[in-house]
Amino acid sequence: MAKKKNKQIIRPWCWYCEREFEDEKVLMQHQKAKHFKCGMCPRRLNTAGGLAVHIQQVHKLEPENLPRIENALPGRDGYEVEIFGMVGIPAPDVADYKRRKEIELGLSAGSISQPPPKRAKIENRPLSESELKAQLEAHKALMGNSQGAESSAAASTSDASIGAVYGAAPQAYATPPPPMSGGPPPPGFFGAPPPGFPSGGPPPFPPPFMAGFPPGPPPPGFPMPPGFLPGGPAPPFPPAGALPQFPPPPFIPGASATPPIPPLPPRGLPPPQFIPAQQQPTPTSTPQPPVAPPPVGPLAPSAGGPLPSAGGPTSSESQGLTTEVRPADPRQGASQLIHPPRQLTLPNPALAQVNPEFKKPTILKWLDPNFSPEEQRSIHPTYFNFVAISSSEESKGKSLKRARAEDFL
Amino acid sequence: MDDASYTTIPSLPFDTISSIRYSPTDPNQLLVSSWDTTVRFYQVGERGVKESEAKAKFDHRAPVLACCFSDATHGYSGGLDTSVRELDLSTERMTNLGTHNDSISSMSFSQANNLLITGSWDRTIRFWDPRAQTHQQSSHETPERVYTLDLVNHTLVVAMASRLFHIYDIRKMDIPAQQRESSLKYMTRSLACMPDGQGYATASVEGRIAVEYFDPSPAAQEKRYAFKCHRQTINDVDHVWPVNALAFHPTYNTFASAGSDGTVSIWDHKVKKRLRQYPKFPNPVSAIAFNCDGTKIAVGASYTWDEGEEGLKHVKTPWMGVRRLGDEVKPKGWAGN
Repeated sequence: MAKKKNKQIIRPWCWYCEREFEDEKVLMQHQKAKHFKCGMCPRRLNTAGGLAVHIQQVHKLEPENLPRIENALPGRDGYEVEIFGMVGIPAPDVADYKRRKEIELGLSAGSISQPPPKRAKIENRPLSESELKAQLEAHKALMGNSQGAESSAAASTSDASIGAVYGAAPQAYATPPPPMSGGPPPPGFFGAPPPGFPSGGPPPFPPPFMAGFPPGPPPPGFPMPPGFLPGGPAPPFPPAGALPQFPPPPFIPGASATPPIPPLPPRGLPPPQFIPAQQQPTPTSTPQPPVAPPPVGPLAPSAGGPLPSAGGPTSSESQGLTTEVRPADPRQGASQLIHPPRQLTLPNPALAQVNPEFKKPTILKWLDPNFSPEEQRSIHPTYFNFVAISSSEESKGKSLKRARAEDFL
Repeated sequence: MDDASYTTIPSLPFDTISSIRYSPTDPNQLLVSSWDTTVRFYQVGERGVKESEAKAKFDHRAPVLACCFSDATHGYSGGLDTSVRELDLSTERMTNLGTHNDSISSMSFSQANNLLITGSWDRTIRFWDPRAQTHQQSSHETPERVYTLDLVNHTLVVAMASRLFHIYDIRKMDIPAQQRESSLKYMTRSLACMPDGQGYATASVEGRIAVEYFDPSPAAQEKRYAFKCHRQTINDVDHVWPVNALAFHPTYNTFASAGSDGTVSIWDHKVKKRLRQYPKFPNPVSAIAFNCDGTKIAVGASYTWDEGEEGLKHVKTPWMGVRRLGDEVKPKGWAGN
């Protein structure tokens, strides 16, 4: 018996997004709401295959045009695998997940077992309404207190009515989850311009895994006047307090690292260029002939030529701004990584680049002159999640252990 | 992509392949780092003769951007979780050597000095010795975020954001031997040093490659040049893709370039000619590597975030294959050295 107690039990988890759930019922509700929801009508299906058939038959889409499964991890957004709760998860992925959990919980290999079948039996009885509600509440809380709009028939009527409007962005999308946050796929299929993707990048809401997280400053999708300070609590980045003499507020409207120091004049560089996080690369499908670089103010350095100061930045400048890019203390790495920058900031604005104009009509695939695809990608919610999941699970693992230790007392 | 000219590999990463590195001694072993938070170690077989095999897998806490070998059984990795890790390829065990203050973008191992060199967006280059008491040997500040670095003999080339380049002698790291601005007008995307130690090739997001030489004398500098590649004209509009990776052939001194247009080209930079362009992949090519004896090239094709999250909607699953090379990588009239 004692031996059994040492065995860790793996909780039901969703193959599509690797979230954990209290029990398989909630997991299934989650999958219906998050992954098997038809983007074109309010219908929720039970499996990926069901969704595929529904889309093909009801919405008359060719099999090859099926939208990917929503909110899924990259590579897991296909219809090939038939998942129903915990049933159908490919064995390698189960093994993989177990191994990762073991690593995260600091257990030796093989110490995690599958939930015993007995457990499932107990849960086979229908849950009472109050239990269902409680679980739903827990689920919502887990989802980061988002409008609670996701699954549930129990969603409030106002939510339901919003969702019922055909073509309107379904309320489920109002919740943080990563891709597709802009709107339902269908309009794209009819050639309409994609909705919900204004000039801004994806509003970097904290991903759903970061429940109970201090609400950050307003998302950068809504730039504020430069001097305006995010009203929220102290900026979540520790280094912000130790900010140097060269605050770059004009360049990062809405970014959280801005200290309450009146902004310096922007060094003759117009702010628009310094919000490259909000530039979406022009979609290939809509050729907009000469791809103009972002609007250049009158004082901007001439395109193309090296910036006057590019050769030798003063050392005070480069050092002064070093600390501010990202959390600086490696020792706190794990906890700080949960607070990733929602927006990229230039460590040394004096070195900012501007893409030169093209002589011929040209579509440049990567338009941001200051941040690489990898940097932009690293602040995307899909990839925060990896960091956020692992750190939150680690802390969860710790608290689990502590709880068990208390049992002995 | 099921081309007969490629040996395919089982259990591929399920997200973008960020880098591929071949073993310094075994021409059939490679390390692959990926945005799916893993580094995988493969033994590549031969099509129809021997199956390829996934030998080991290292799970990380965040996407991995860089990996490299030190010897046949050890590797290193670094990525978004900022940690430098030593990977024991035989026991599948990871050791944490230390951290940067920001994501690690690139790394290289100096066999001669038994040093690991990492570059990060925290604007430092750091030297690591896994056998020393304190793993981190030194840290050197750079003016901009380090995007990629490469090493030949004792010469370290560091390509940074804002189109800056530093060239160091790794025995004398206090000041860069040379500081340059890229001759390309757009963001630096990739870099590779010539195995003969004469210079390096670098490429930008604007489908263009520059060939540069270390020797600062005007005679040597006159030889440098740049050319366009990885482009296509569709309806009178030039489509220009980033050049994601460059790799030099270890013996012939020719090099391969990989672009987001899904092609891999082989170039002879001495005669300024393209030797071969391989058939297009359905995905952008995100990483390439030649093996140590130069008989094979590994190609990783996966989405490189050129279209941001929009692109996620129509990405195809990552693909990786190893191609046996023929005479196409040999300069015309190669007599052998």
